[in-house]
Amino acid sequence: MRDTTTPDIGSLIEKDTIHSSLYTDREIFELECEKIFEGNWVYVAHESELPRNGDYLRRTMGTTPILVTKTAKGIHVVVNRCTHRGNLLCPAPRGRKKAFGCQYHGWVFGPDGELVEIPFPDGSENLDKSKLGLRTARVESYRGFVFASLNHDVDDLVTYLGHARQALDRASDLSPVGEILLSKTWIQHSFKANWKMISENEADGYHVNFVHDSFAKAITPEGKYENVIKEDEEGIGSVSRYLGNGHTEIDYEVSYGAPMKWLGVKEDRYPEYTKAMKERYGEEEANTIMRKGPPHTFIFPNLFLAETCFVVIQPISVNESINWHTPLYLQGVPDKLNQRILRQGEPAMGPSAFLTADDAVIAERQWNALDGAPGWLDLSRGADREIEKDDGVLQSHYTDETSNRGFWSHYKSVFA
Amino acid sequence: MSGIDEKEYRQICNFIFLECQLADEGRWEEWEELLAADMNYWVPINGEEADPNWDVSIINDNRSRLATRIRQLRTGTRHSQAPISVIRRMVSNIVMNEDDDGIVVVEGNFVAHEYQNQSTMMMNIWPGRVRYRLRRVKGSYEIVQKRVDLVMSTGKLPTLAFII
Ligand code: FES
Ligand SMILES: [Fe+2]
Repeated sequence: MRDTTTPDIGSLIEKDTIHSSLYTDREIFELECEKIFEGNWVYVAHESELPRNGDYLRRTMGTTPILVTKTAKGIHVVVNRCTHRGNLLCPAPRGRKKAFGCQYHGWVFGPDGELVEIPFPDGSENLDKSKLGLRTARVESYRGFVFASLNHDVDDLVTYLGHARQALDRASDLSPVGEILLSKTWIQHSFKANWKMISENEADGYHVNFVHDSFAKAITPEGKYENVIKEDEEGIGSVSRYLGNGHTEIDYEVSYGAPMKWLGVKEDRYPEYTKAMKERYGEEEANTIMRKGPPHTFIFPNLFLAETCFVVIQPISVNESINWHTPLYLQGVPDKLNQRILRQGEPAMGPSAFLTADDAVIAERQWNALDGAPGWLDLSRGADREIEKDDGVLQSHYTDETSNRGFWSHYKSVFA
Repeated sequence: MSGIDEKEYRQICNFIFLECQLADEGRWEEWEELLAADMNYWVPINGEEADPNWDVSIINDNRSRLATRIRQLRTGTRHSQAPISVIRRMVSNIVMNEDDDGIVVVEGNFVAHEYQNQSTMMMNIWPGRVRYRLRRVKGSYEIVQKRVDLVMSTGKLPTLAFII
């Protein structure tokens, strides 16, 4: 299909060094859309966003527009492009519908992608409607997190998630009914940078003391910040991990000495919540869950569980990406607790945030510098001191590039 | 414009023009002097339907969070505002009313032209509606709330690290 100029991606990635063209080459971006965003599992929605049959969401898989729909048969993911002349079938961001009528020439599709009606049927008598349904994706979910793959021939989702499954459990288990809850409101922060710069940065502990120096100076560091904002590296107890299949995380667990410290409140701030948690999990496990707090985990290629924020990364082009975020609310908790989650995440994420505004500008400067002056980039930090745990997870110091080396080893395997 | 005469209308417009100039020029210390102790600085995304306690906002600062925002800007290492953007904004179509508590409610349209000189080197244009709630104090005013509804708030937004 592709000519001989197709970039040899494998030759651009070594164990602890990568070539900058991976961020700036337009052809590589197109290959990524095909192999990563269409060829394997991509996060598309959470079941709490589709409570009723007929509900739908307009989303994307890479640059492909899709619809996530819910019917009595389950959740469907279909390409949001009419099979007649390619019009965007449904322009609304969300809603409720039994069928989707194309506004160009009126073809009607079911929520599962079936072409159900062509208006003025006499002239289209010889058309085989069964061949003109919308392209469908394979769909699976875990703890309400819905993933889709336009390549139906992939491992099952649980295998793909591997150790990252524990992060979805960790977030969901914070709810006494075991489920997170997403609202309808998302903020879209545009980065003029490559999507991988955002993806890698999510579990990069190394930059925190530098990019977020101004935040550290503006606040009295408490909780996790007290643990990681340091003059010397020995004092930092939080860790960086590579979970396999491109999934990475930073774990702040050590910095949370008591239940609810992750939310910056006293253990007994929400007695109803504590009671409900203990009823569901038993005293000891409930305390562990409430002490460990939410995950800080990136799930390849586009989902970031950012503690109290829920983040989805959308690639637009080789040098533009959108960081979508919304609060990571919990089902079955007092409103006050969810409000606290909102207030805690609001200043961390988005175009005006104390944190991501600076990440964005650094990523943009990095992209411009790489585009202008290509070359090899170093990823070696901590390679000699990372350890492999019994379960195969790689773990190292908070500031080590264990997570990013893992990201790239998986990326390389996708193109092998 | 109940409760507000021509002279006061002028005075309030001047107060708002000053607020805009101080924000444009990154004169944060002087800007902070215009704020009430119970100030709320709110940039929602859902317009009139926005519920500040459920819908995530672009900015929803109480006075202490806003103080943190300004301390961060003043560190000199707030990369998204180091150097500070070059900004000029216009405010017009100003209408005002006094509410039952004696608060002056001011509304207008605005557009800020920002030369983003930190990374993208692009001209960002930020149009919207601005609403102030002002309290009369000692012959002048203090800002109890500044609410900014951006025209493109529900779409993608570039970094917005200056005071809008
Ligand atoms: S493009 Fe959809 S019906 Fe023609
Ligand atoms: Fe960061």
